[in-house]
Amino acid sequence: MQKRKFELNHLLKWRNTLDKCIRCGYCYEHCPVFKHTRWETDAPRAKLIMLYGLLSCQLEPSKYMADKIFSCFNCQQCISACSSGVPLTEIFTDARADFVNTEFDTTGTTSVTGSGCGNCLTCVRACPHDARYFKDGHIVTDSIMCQSCGICTSLCPNQSVSSTHTYGTDRVYLNRLITDFLQKQEAKVIVFGCNWSYYPDLQSSSYETESSSYIPIYEKPDPEYKILITMCGGRLTMPLLLDPFLENGWGVLVACCPEGECENDGNLTSAKRVKKLKPILTSLDIDPDRLELVNIAHGDKAGFQKAIDNFMDKIKTLGPLVDERSMNQQIRNTKYSTD
Amino acid sequence: MKTINIPKLKEIVGENNVKDNPADLFIYGSDASVHRAMPWVVVRPENVEQVQGLMKFADEEQIPVITRGSGSGMCGQTVPSQGGITLDMKGMNRILEINPPDVYCRVEPGVVDDDLNLALKPYGVFYPPTPASSRTATIGGEIGNNASGVRSVKYGATRDSLLGMKVVLPGGKLITLGTRTRVEATGYQIHKLIVGSEGTLGVVVEATLKFVPIPKFRCLGMANFDRLEDAGHAIADIMAGGIVPSMLELVDNVAIKAVNKTMNLGLPDVEAVLLYEADGMVKEAVDYEIDTMKNMCAKHNGTGLQSSYDAKERAKIFMGRKKLFPALSKFSELHASTSLADDMAVPYSKMAEMARKIHDVAKRNNIIMTAYGHCGSGCMHTKILMETSHQDQWESARKAVTEIYEYVRSVNGTTSAEHGIGLSKAAAFKAEKADSLELMRAIKKAFDPNNILNPGKLMDAPDDWVTATDLRYIVES
Repeated sequence: MQKRKFELNHLLKWRNTLDKCIRCGYCYEHCPVFKHTRWETDAPRAKLIMLYGLLSCQLEPSKYMADKIFSCFNCQQCISACSSGVPLTEIFTDARADFVNTEFDTTGTTSVTGSGCGNCLTCVRACPHDARYFKDGHIVTDSIMCQSCGICTSLCPNQSVSSTHTYGTDRVYLNRLITDFLQKQEAKVIVFGCNWSYYPDLQSSSYETESSSYIPIYEKPDPEYKILITMCGGRLTMPLLLDPFLENGWGVLVACCPEGECENDGNLTSAKRVKKLKPILTSLDIDPDRLELVNIAHGDKAGFQKAIDNFMDKIKTLGPLVDERSMNQQIRNTKYSTD
Repeated sequence: MKTINIPKLKEIVGENNVKDNPADLFIYGSDASVHRAMPWVVVRPENVEQVQGLMKFADEEQIPVITRGSGSGMCGQTVPSQGGITLDMKGMNRILEINPPDVYCRVEPGVVDDDLNLALKPYGVFYPPTPASSRTATIGGEIGNNASGVRSVKYGATRDSLLGMKVVLPGGKLITLGTRTRVEATGYQIHKLIVGSEGTLGVVVEATLKFVPIPKFRCLGMANFDRLEDAGHAIADIMAGGIVPSMLELVDNVAIKAVNKTMNLGLPDVEAVLLYEADGMVKEAVDYEIDTMKNMCAKHNGTGLQSSYDAKERAKIFMGRKKLFPALSKFSELHASTSLADDMAVPYSKMAEMARKIHDVAKRNNIIMTAYGHCGSGCMHTKILMETSHQDQWESARKAVTEIYEYVRSVNGTTSAEHGIGLSKAAAFKAEKADSLELMRAIKKAFDPNNILNPGKLMDAPDDWVTATDLRYIVES
């Protein structure tokens, strides 16, 4: 790409607003990216400081900085938590606009199209933010419009849409957590929650360090179920929903926002997948009741816990999966459509 | 800037625990103060051995080390004014032990205050020194600053809750200080000295803290005063009245106006509001304390007296105080809320006069200031609201800060109640503690002969805070 001079065309208007940030750090605990990396430099406050560095010409723009700005799930929890009313994600969006006009255009958590794309346009049609479009024979992402909801990554039949940085939301990462958990003696159920329905308890450590340092030892999670947060419920692919059964899990509970409350309509996508999976489970001699979807309003922890308790009661009545080996084989051999 | 052996640092703490990209360094150069200066490198140790290795390396190389928790300090304590290594302690955030029979817990320094209280709650106990920033502040940072908070009037500050600690000294030696018992008369209480030392004496790698039972009853009351002086007299009477409130907060008229303007809370347009709280295991005892405080307020012309045990009602009453921070930030499009002259403590009898002084100073210097604070502890806070891009506003702020701390000293108050000294309050601190500065320097030398730990802070910080470092704001000349 032709190198262009970095210009603060969009950021400039936020100059006074950046001074409004009193740097209290209340946004830390609300940021899924910070919670995953535990680096202060990934917190929303840090992004504002960095942009201030750009605006005051104390920092030279770099791909590294662009990568940080594009690494945001746009969940806007930082705005809700901000003591000073700073519209952080709006500022980040404008910063993105300035970065895409230079060679520092990058991807971060936004979606990218891989070489296996068959141009079926499924992702284009499904994008709730009109961020994907067909251009010059390829499907591309408008990285300013993209809200990193991940719906497209879960829909692609060729699995050709992905994100450069996933911060603990990709299938490989989640699958490792599922596998590790279900190997434990008392483990029975995997609960998938979205960042909004079960906010703010996104798993706060990277996989590698979970058993050693970052999870405080007081966190003694229930040995019978594990909660995994995936940002939006729409990210839950059918293979991911079946992964726990492959590991002899007794059941899977999916918690999404109530109808009309998901900006990405990810709850509807997830509901469709759960509905489609039920007959598949039946065909595998797995009771379809072992997979359930519940709608939990933002921050309703009591409701969420109640739903988990009810599901656990039901699962315990159903008991463990029978004839596990043959069933797992059947699952592995099953071809399922993506949506 | 000294060249740092980055591969060596990576060898000590691991490849992924070192950051030296300019953007990262710029970010770590700020906290919640007005100051800004970049470290040379940021490292995030995960265990005691790594801290020991780092301290050995830094002492040998004579590189400054600035220990940092969440970077929510308001006076520039973690701003690396002389560069060096920023030691991010958030990587050490384990709660190591909760011991109900012996009534203590052991934690690593990176544990967030609210996380600790979440862990203690099932045991029916809590760790009392809870600053307003408890959702992000780490125990290590709170030790560095001797943090306290709204309930310090009854439960004390960090120093009062600390039983012992493990500290890594320059050179890498690990020492154990204090005890796990309630009392100790075994020589110097060095662990108490570490509290409030702002990272200048050693790196705390473990703290033993005591906790207290969560009270069964908590009642919050409110009183309005048309005259600030009446509120001041009520405070003095309450604190001398034979009871111990669990909270006693003052909110002045500027703060009330800010809250009403931005939040539309409809608070009465009076000169001052007092919020008073009592807690305990026996309702009759709480009733007695609340009634006593109500009577004191009524005696000094307090009106609109109300109180409630109900959690929702209490939250409603406390809303004005709770929303004060954001209200000040949003008070005006042109003004930013800066952490200057942000905290001090004066005798109870001087609280009202102190608040009045703040208003006078603000008016005279053409800036906006508010007065609020944990007056049950004698603690007063303010913020300076100003147009940060204007050079003359900084001159005004400089004058205002000087005048305020001259008054504090004149009434035998102290420069910092709970936010510490760092860079912003060094001049006032040095004036207040003039006759003990040499002793402090000798203590510092005994701990840190090469002066690598947070150099240039406290008694060694420059007198002029405006030029001590770059300011975090864009100032047009």
